[in-house]
Amino acid sequence: MEFLREGFRRALALLLSGDAEVFGIALLTLKIAVVATVIACGVGLPLGYLLATRRFWGRRAALTAVNTALAFPTVVVGLLLFGLLSRRGPLGGLGWLYTWQAIVVGDVLLALPIAAALSAAAVQGVDPRVRRTAQTLGAGRWLTAWTVAREARFALAAVITAAFGQVVAEIGAAMMLGGNIRGSTRTLTTAVALYTAQGDFGLAVALGLVLIAIALVVNVTLQVLQGRGGG
Amino acid sequence: MVELRGVRHRYDGRLVLDLEQFAVPAGAMLAVVGHNGAGKSTLLRLLALLEAPTEGSVLWDGAPVPRRAPTALRRRVTLVEQRPVLLRGTVLENIGFGLRVRGIGRADAYKRTAEVAEQLGLLSLLERRRTELSDGEVQRVAVARALAVRPDVLLLDEPTSSADRAAAGAMYRALSHERAERKARPLTICIASHQLEDAYRWADDIRALADGRLSPVTPENLFRVDLAPAGTDTMSARVGAIDILVTTDRAGPAVLAVPPGDIFVSREPLSSSARNVLKGRVTRVAAHRGGGVAVTADVGVELIAIVTAEACRELALAPDAPVVFSFKASAVRVF
Repeated sequence: MEFLREGFRRALALLLSGDAEVFGIALLTLKIAVVATVIACGVGLPLGYLLATRRFWGRRAALTAVNTALAFPTVVVGLLLFGLLSRRGPLGGLGWLYTWQAIVVGDVLLALPIAAALSAAAVQGVDPRVRRTAQTLGAGRWLTAWTVAREARFALAAVITAAFGQVVAEIGAAMMLGGNIRGSTRTLTTAVALYTAQGDFGLAVALGLVLIAIALVVNVTLQVLQGRGGG
Repeated sequence: MVELRGVRHRYDGRLVLDLEQFAVPAGAMLAVVGHNGAGKSTLLRLLALLEAPTEGSVLWDGAPVPRRAPTALRRRVTLVEQRPVLLRGTVLENIGFGLRVRGIGRADAYKRTAEVAEQLGLLSLLERRRTELSDGEVQRVAVARALAVRPDVLLLDEPTSSADRAAAGAMYRALSHERAERKARPLTICIASHQLEDAYRWADDIRALADGRLSPVTPENLFRVDLAPAGTDTMSARVGAIDILVTTDRAGPAVLAVPPGDIFVSREPLSSSARNVLKGRVTRVAAHRGGGVAVTADVGVELIAIVTAEACRELALAPDAPVVFSFKASAVRVF
């Protein structure tokens, strides 16, 4: 138990002293998570809306595919993208392997099914009369979607939180596509794994605490945003 | 104005509407009556261009409407659902929703909102949210919201189902006011109702819907029943608190119509061949659009009989007067 206590003590000291490495890793993690969440939700939420509201051939299959992708192992996504982005792969020319952009691509692929499947469920949960009401009062496609989204705002905020949570906490794709390069692609999760393996328990705990703090701040922020305005 | 042609509409393979032709002429005040589940709400959704029929076409001013109706066309017709929902925000924002989406300026939108809110007695509720309103108030807000955008066609699904008498009166006054104000471009109204009183009071054209089809008989006294054997050549149907005897060889689920002109109205039971003799009290006496007087009585269920004005006077038929309705088992239509 002593090493655990020591770990927390060290973590506190690192955080309070504003350790450059800890903050560098935290900032990179935040950057990757925000960019990946914005892209995944930017595509996933409209996709979810379409899946929930449009009747088209293959809709059921599309829903099944998206729901199956929810359980995609992160290392498999990492492996797949590794093949695509490696020098010999079809996207090798981009030179993205072992860069933060590669991690973003992996994270987007992991968060997209979450954003699409959960937002489809959220929109399906909205009373169908809301959509009809917006339409019959003359709203076009976008305004109708916006009206429905306003009704599902709590569920959609939870979707964004879940997507962000997936992105910020995953390690498989970040490790395989980023390579855990110090000062360049080391994220909180890969760093925690590395420092734990190296026996630097204090640094690992400090980074773990930062990870939890980020998750907490994002959740609280979304809750505050949800709280504004009543029914 | 708007017309359905050769329309067959299905939900999950089940046929819910089957109409060879259904036209709503410009400026009409049309009522569609029928029991619950007759297809009235589906019909209104098709007329509102919110759904495309599974088969057949919808025509607007004679031109076919594409399966995805253009927004500009959809803006000419507004539907108020049977149990309307208010959108997030205040009553003011709800009534102004349609005006905002049409890009109408804040000042003009507010003026129009206040105007319809006043007509429907909603001025004191403008800052309330949906959770602070009764069902009847929600319904009035929904009607105000639909009227605010000045549609060419207004579709109302059971508009007074949650309203009390005074609120229903306000609603119909607002509709009349709107129609009177718009002489150049008359407002077409189509009301779906299972309350015949609504229909007879306001409509100048009444059509009956039964099991998704237009019913060939007069729409009064229409009931969905289960026919059970009652004698050698008669069937019995439970309607409300009474049993109606019918001459038919059919059994099981059916729709019954008692033609109002075939009902004998008397103060005392008659000695006659009529197998159905029902005692009750008059609830309403009103001029019938097709001539004569429509006498509505509660005889265990609400029935309407048409009598001449003279007969009405002689029998002193007035609300609350005791009355006997008699009709032959063979007069009852089954379909």
